[in-house]
Amino acid sequence: MDKTAPPDLSAWIERALHFEKWSIAKLISLFEDARPEASKQRHEVITQLRQHPKARSATFVGLTGTPGAGKSSLVGALVPKLLSHPRQLSLAILAIDPSSPLTGGAVLGDRTRVKLPPKEKRVFFRSQSSDQDLGGLSRNTFQVCRLLYWLFDIVLIETVGIGQSEISIRHAADHVYLLLQPLAGDELQFIKAGIMEIPDAFVLHKADAPEASKTYHTLKATLGLLQHAQGTARKIHRTSIVTQQGIDDLAAEIASLQTPPLHAAMLQREAYAFQRWILDRYGRLGLEALTQQQDDSTRFLRGYDSLDQAQEAFASYFWDWASACLLSRSDKEIVQITT
Amino acid sequence: MTQDTTKQDHLLYDREGKPTHDRPWIFRTYAGHTNVRASNALYRQNLAQGQTGLSIAFDLPTQCGYDADHPLARSEVGKVGVPINSLDDMHALFEEIPLEQMNTSMTINGTSMWLLALYIALARERGVDVSALRGTTQNDLVKEYLARGTYIFPPDAHFRIIAEMYEYCLHHLPQWNAANICSYHLQEAGATPAQEIAFALSTALGVLDILQERGQVDKPQFDQIVGRISFFVNAGIRFVEEMCKMRAFSELWDELTKDRYDVQDARLRRFRYGVQVNSLGLTEQQPENNAWRILIEALGVTLSRNARCRALQLPAWNEALSLPRPWDQQWSLRLQQILAYETDLLEYPDLFDGSPVVQSKTNALKEEALREIERIRGMGGVHAAIHSGYMKSALVRSMSERISRVQRGEQVVVGVNRWTDALPSPLLGDQDSGIFKVDKDAAHETLELLNQTRKKRDPARAEAALQALQDAARSGANMMEASIECALARVTTGEWAGALREIFGEYRAATGIEGQTLSLEEQRILPLRKRLEDLAQKLGHRPRMLVGKPGLDGHSNGAEMIAVTARYIGFDVIYAGIRLTPDEIVQSAVEESADLIGLSVLSGSHIELTEQLMQGLQEAGAADAIPVVMGGILPHDDHETLRTLGVRAIFTPADGDLITIFDTILHILEASA
Repeated sequence: MDKTAPPDLSAWIERALHFEKWSIAKLISLFEDARPEASKQRHEVITQLRQHPKARSATFVGLTGTPGAGKSSLVGALVPKLLSHPRQLSLAILAIDPSSPLTGGAVLGDRTRVKLPPKEKRVFFRSQSSDQDLGGLSRNTFQVCRLLYWLFDIVLIETVGIGQSEISIRHAADHVYLLLQPLAGDELQFIKAGIMEIPDAFVLHKADAPEASKTYHTLKATLGLLQHAQGTARKIHRTSIVTQQGIDDLAAEIASLQTPPLHAAMLQREAYAFQRWILDRYGRLGLEALTQQQDDSTRFLRGYDSLDQAQEAFASYFWDWASACLLSRSDKEIVQITT
Repeated sequence: MTQDTTKQDHLLYDREGKPTHDRPWIFRTYAGHTNVRASNALYRQNLAQGQTGLSIAFDLPTQCGYDADHPLARSEVGKVGVPINSLDDMHALFEEIPLEQMNTSMTINGTSMWLLALYIALARERGVDVSALRGTTQNDLVKEYLARGTYIFPPDAHFRIIAEMYEYCLHHLPQWNAANICSYHLQEAGATPAQEIAFALSTALGVLDILQERGQVDKPQFDQIVGRISFFVNAGIRFVEEMCKMRAFSELWDELTKDRYDVQDARLRRFRYGVQVNSLGLTEQQPENNAWRILIEALGVTLSRNARCRALQLPAWNEALSLPRPWDQQWSLRLQQILAYETDLLEYPDLFDGSPVVQSKTNALKEEALREIERIRGMGGVHAAIHSGYMKSALVRSMSERISRVQRGEQVVVGVNRWTDALPSPLLGDQDSGIFKVDKDAAHETLELLNQTRKKRDPARAEAALQALQDAARSGANMMEASIECALARVTTGEWAGALREIFGEYRAATGIEGQTLSLEEQRILPLRKRLEDLAQKLGHRPRMLVGKPGLDGHSNGAEMIAVTARYIGFDVIYAGIRLTPDEIVQSAVEESADLIGLSVLSGSHIELTEQLMQGLQEAGAADAIPVVMGGILPHDDHETLRTLGVRAIFTPADGDLITIFDTILHILEASA
């Protein structure tokens, strides 16, 4: 960003709402920007978007699954179907790639695997590298989602399903699909333990493979057992790129997902992101400061116009609180809360 | 091979015990450029010079299945080979060349079935006996997925095409090699000798397994096919090891075909191979040294009679600079003629039989290769190893290690990391700077001929032929006859491939760069990492670099090494891959807010591609916001033009030092941060 002249945010917003890609990209970069001055600009953008008559309100769809499960090929197949939907839907894809633990650099390769219609304005693909400590989502995923919410009808978040990432995606998306590929029964038994409870629905991809039918029935039986605990029956989609089986149905379901009211889902997500931000930046001491000030992050946020303002306010409050707090404690206690 | 020498003794010595002469190998020069007329003239000239076979280079649109007027083809027509759009082009290409006397090698893979169909259709229209046709279609898709990039369809479809061509040739073109398994490009992509052996043999076994599964041929026919499998191998500068590699190849192929497929006839188990010696090791610095490298590499594949190549093609000394001129190719051909006819090389039986050194090196290579073959087999064969990206990752890793060794100076490259001071080369001093340039307007003739073909043909016949092709593709019937009818009906290359793209889909292969690392000296890397972190602080985000290859050229090693290094230094790398239109690159760079675009171009189309890319950035409103740098085979004469178009830095093979490249890249970013 040019430091000498402040960016013309109104113009960017206007053009972004008309799907001009470079303006969308610049706004996304602003929401990923770690510099302190970016916070005020983000607040400005969000404030303007809230009042903009053309602003949209996106449904967030999470798509997670092990590497090689075929997430990218499925996204590639879904995109044209969603675009040709009579509602003229617009769509952003946020693909999260794992980063290098050694240097921090990442190879963001997902976009090579998704074939998108050339020069289509209603679809936008963006990659992010994940942070190791945030369960597969990027530090910036939520920030960017705040923006995309106003710009598109659907935001598809694609994550690598390893470790705890499925849990993070639960907090980022309205509706989560877990993508599975045909497996032997034993492997499926292994998988069900941790992550089966997370998704709202399953996609058994590569359904043309010979083992697919067996996997489907094992999965169904497994979910039947889990159903008692959860109370709802969850759908299993069967899809295949080769035969095109199930793609239309899945696209239709995604297009029909209800947008939850902003102040429920979005605020909940914002509160979660705020808490993660505090933990990430100030550690457990930060959480303690939050508890001292307000009961929880939701309540703290309520006192401010935007997340950006809340963050700024918390930052200035925290150091006052921390120095006062540390003076009043014994060394042993300090070691306990800071480690 | 020692056990075989007694068997072959009667071939090597005459009745008086005097050694017999070996016949010289086939001399080939890989050639073709501009358009059919120019290429025809070149072939006739080469044949008159004493060349004994044709080796046809096709341009990239032909290799990737696009007509010359397709948007992706626009800048590539006639650049790296001859463009073939229809049977009319074939008539012009082979004018006054007697097909029945030719041994024709076609470097064609994704569209191999189409080019063979065109060759057969040409013979039919000329009244030449089709069964007399001799030659080879390269048709090794594994190395396309791994290194060269001119695949079109997913592996299943390509393996089916290869199998159908074998089945067809068995009955109709008994002297045609339907496929030529290439380890050549694997070495170029970084393979060690053992990997080269293992991957190539695994590919051959994969083809044979599929032919066996399909059950279209009986056992004697299957054995005949085994006998027709031929190989195309690379020969590098470590020529003793390379010679042992060839012996290991021969012995392993003999053993595997006997043990796995029970081929009893020893002649059908013979490892038959042609060679192109290594281009990877040819240097842009002090390019005259390449003449010696080529000579030494030729020795590796000719010295040992038991492992001597059947055909040899040599690169030209200036290949690292640009496409060679006819004189450069003649110089390489003369090398072969001197080796075969002036020296006494062909007068002796094998010089190395009984050498304990050679045998133990050969055995070691065999053992290592066999372990790798078994590993790939354990994964489910070559098929599965492509899908999973295993082979690609292994190659990228070997390449990273090689680059690291050269960078650390452990692997000596004369003129590059040792003895770098030299007198100016008089060879580069002549009028055209010692390099060949494709005539800019040459594509015009090709497009004109294509338009005429489309106008003159019977549209109903062409339509019906394409329909029949799709029907065959869907039903699983052999597609050869349908393809020949397409050729006769003046269907075009793009239409043939397009019809099959509709049925089989288009494939994107694994990039192999994820999870790779380098071993460069920490003291040289650390300052770059530090600068990158500082830059990230200033920018407010980790710098993002987009790496990609515009155009149809699929030689992706250079781009992959840049991507791996960028990540190693700490960039977020958006690796956009190969075969991209400039528009696609612009779209990726814009959507991803790239801080820098790095392009790799080796096909000679750099100026046209840059023009299109810059225009695209302009239209997206991002013209001055994203700096562009470029690497590849980029002749010095063009640098000024590229800079004027807006390219901020240009890297040629002489700038092999990755640290220096990234020093320049960081400077560009730091200046604008």
